[in-house]
Amino acid sequence: MCGIAGRILTEPGLVGADLVKLMHAQRHRGADSTGFALYGKPLESGYIVRAMTAKRQNLSADLEFFLDLLREHGSDFLSDPTHDEADSDHVSVRMEIREPTSLTDWVQQIDEYSDRIEVQSVGRALEIVKDLGGAAEVAEKHNVRDFIGTHGLGHARMATESDVSPTASHPFWARPFPDVAIVHNGQITDYFTWRARLERKGYRFMTENDSELLAVWISDRMSQGETQADALKRSLTEIDGCFTFLYSNHDRLGFAKDRWAIKPLVAVDSNNTLSIATEEQAVRTVHLDEVEVVNFDGPSLTQTWQTHSSLDRAA
Amino acid sequence: MNRHEVRVADRPLRECNQAIRAGIESGQPVAVTDTRSRHNLGIGLPAGAEVHFDGSVGYYCGGLNNGAHITISRNAGWAAGEAMASGEITINGYAGMSLGASMRGGLIHVKGDAGPRCGVSMKGGDIIVEGKIGYLSGFMAHAGRIIALGGADEACADSLWGGEVWVAGPIESLGVDSKIAQPSDDEIEQIEDLLASRGLDNGSRSWQKIVSAQRLWHFESRDASAWLMI
Repeated sequence: MCGIAGRILTEPGLVGADLVKLMHAQRHRGADSTGFALYGKPLESGYIVRAMTAKRQNLSADLEFFLDLLREHGSDFLSDPTHDEADSDHVSVRMEIREPTSLTDWVQQIDEYSDRIEVQSVGRALEIVKDLGGAAEVAEKHNVRDFIGTHGLGHARMATESDVSPTASHPFWARPFPDVAIVHNGQITDYFTWRARLERKGYRFMTENDSELLAVWISDRMSQGETQADALKRSLTEIDGCFTFLYSNHDRLGFAKDRWAIKPLVAVDSNNTLSIATEEQAVRTVHLDEVEVVNFDGPSLTQTWQTHSSLDRAA
Repeated sequence: MNRHEVRVADRPLRECNQAIRAGIESGQPVAVTDTRSRHNLGIGLPAGAEVHFDGSVGYYCGGLNNGAHITISRNAGWAAGEAMASGEITINGYAGMSLGASMRGGLIHVKGDAGPRCGVSMKGGDIIVEGKIGYLSGFMAHAGRIIALGGADEACADSLWGGEVWVAGPIESLGVDSKIAQPSDDEIEQIEDLLASRGLDNGSRSWQKIVSAQRLWHFESRDASAWLMI
């Protein structure tokens, strides 16, 4: 039982604050960790990298190592990295980098050192922030409420498989697809079958979490020319499990809900904005007045929404 | 007539439910406002209580009802009236998944549609839905009646153990181990009388009454493939 949420604004605004509200209202659905996938002002070139280093006292050495490897891949920092000032051992780092010669090659190589520095998201606009604890705690530590952006996802995790750590927390980035993130409530039962198939196609995973697999699965279908809507529909018949997940990239946010119709989802969809969450009481913290709420209660449902990111224009 | 007003908003749930109780004890009807789809409102209310929720409520509203008359002006989330023993719940809008789950008695009346698994595992009482009942409605019910005036979604009355599902309107598909039985004129009259008592008079309905086919009563593991939906 996890809690998920998504939000689309018509123009850049306090999307982080809204997602914190949506997740705080669902904190009882998962207290292990909370995470956010936030889409801010897109870079015109290069990528924003969100990463986590393992030991605070090794931070500068790890960043030097990271930079060295970046340069080997034709990249560099575009500005000085920033990081949280909390007293946790792990450190959340934000970097802006020049585009590597091959994003796939660079990610595969840096992932070999994930025990030192773990890449959690790469995108022109996407920033994934996730940590242990509830929404308020994570928001405070990582200034999520001040984040200005166009859309995003949120997740409160109650771990049913894999460990309780920032690494195993949602959202997941679909490596190596820039700007793709997923949050998921459920379990995939043919995980290992699909993981092996995707690995044979060259994909690599940071975790053994089934949600990370879903993100790559949808992105792989889209890389073969399917629309997000079609790939989400296909997941209903090809992936076995009990799930409701939200998938986002820079221009569309969508969901899929399996044929057993167990994992709830509701939305307020009005005036080109969207608030979507596991529980109606969560969207009602953003929409205080009585409002038209769509209940996605039935089986085998999908839908996608256009975001209002300026990425296409910037790129 | 005076009414006791309880505003929910973002107040702690226990405080809201205590205020609803205090209102009931004062002998007045209770109006609960600014409900914001909060969960677990109005649980275990006693006979004689009249409680109106002005707005949409979240999960389990009116659960464990012990005789209260409850009305909800808009929608209800999951499992309104869960495990209720007696009393009445009227939902003016849509009722979410698992409406009346495990209820033992009393009446739930929904003016809109109901979500999946309506009446799941119910052990008695009546559920009237003026619209359509969702996927897997009546799932594993043991007793009681579900009456749907606007049809039924897929897998209707799946694994029905006992009780009855009455549907006027199209049924997308029947679930496993359920069958359509021919209702007698007396039975139809009882149903129509119940509906008339709720202001739903209509002599021209065409009923399908669904009951258990009773094969799962004697489950044998060698027959398992007959019950798999996939």
